[in-house]
Amino acid sequence: MSTEFDHSLAVSTIRGRWQVPYLTWITRVLIVVALVGTFAPGPVGTVVQVSAVAVAIAVPLLRVLWLIHRWRQERDWIFVVIGGALLLVIATGAVIAIVG
Amino acid sequence: MDVVGYAFMAAIAAGLGAMGGLGGAILLVPALVLTGMPTAQAAPLGLISVAAGSIAAGAQQLRDRTVNHRLGVATEIAASTGAVVGATLSGLVSDSALTYVLATVAALAALASFRKGRVHVALESSDIEVGERIGSLSGVIRTPVGIVPYVVQHLPIGLGLMTIAGLIAGTAGAPGGFIKTPATSEVMGVPPRVAASTTTFTVGVTAAAALVVFALDGRIDASISCAVIAGSLIGGRLGAGLQSRLPDQLLRRVLGVLLVCVAVVLVSRA
Repeated sequence: MSTEFDHSLAVSTIRGRWQVPYLTWITRVLIVVALVGTFAPGPVGTVVQVSAVAVAIAVPLLRVLWLIHRWRQERDWIFVVIGGALLLVIATGAVIAIVG
Repeated sequence: MDVVGYAFMAAIAAGLGAMGGLGGAILLVPALVLTGMPTAQAAPLGLISVAAGSIAAGAQQLRDRTVNHRLGVATEIAASTGAVVGATLSGLVSDSALTYVLATVAALAALASFRKGRVHVALESSDIEVGERIGSLSGVIRTPVGIVPYVVQHLPIGLGLMTIAGLIAGTAGAPGGFIKTPATSEVMGVPPRVAASTTTFTVGVTAAAALVVFALDGRIDASISCAVIAGSLIGGRLGAGLQSRLPDQLLRRVLGVLLVCVAVVLVSRA
């Protein structure tokens, strides 16, 4: 692997700025939902608690999915494969947990 | 302890962790263990805290354009593999062995908090466009001293360290950011700001990978997790707000000393 910076490489157009308001709002909603889940009793509380945990797990994985989509648009196939391999690793872990 | 107590504990850990730049889980998991919770039960709660913190930090880092997503996802294959293996095996390991792992992790994190960063050379000219480069792990970042181009070096060693960080996350519930950030900046030659931001993005993915395994194994307590999410997000925000007003080096040293004490207490308890 070269240690010199290659000036001929194209700059990625991925900025992800549209995600900024979504992540800001997800964080705010997650705080509110988590606070409600902490104090809400009974079955409603359980649904809210599971929802908060599901969001916390899903958002990082959705960000990877979005990156794969954008790399596909940039025709950066190496990183489409790398991103797919990452999701495959996580899916394999899920399968092992279910089967095991 | 009731759920409100867990929320307070998570808030304090996240606040201190954010001020020290290491994240809250590195303090939260040992604190939970010291209150009598089994390490196997505390680990997923630490990871929940990590995932929530990663989401909360995401917006600012996208604004600053400091995350190298290609580098993050590439190295995350190694870290997530480690996390999945660690989470799967953690159910088979004794609790005292997990506590020893946690004590080692706390001691290593203490060492990381005392380290000094590598200095990168900035270019005078600013005609190079900032951002990642398509088809490669290299990129360019704007810093207060100028434009800094970087190329990833020693990738195999970096991937090895990421795997270790993932194993630690999966077994002990500590995010492994204290390994990932120095590995990315010191070993792989990436500017510290990019390394820190990329790590914050990737620790969320590592946590999610291990949490999928924990969730499907039925090892996540939703009510305590919810309290931890609330506490971590609120404490993390307060800690990040206070961080800029307090001396950075002093904070890191105080956190380092605190982690050494935590490691000693954990070993004595194990």
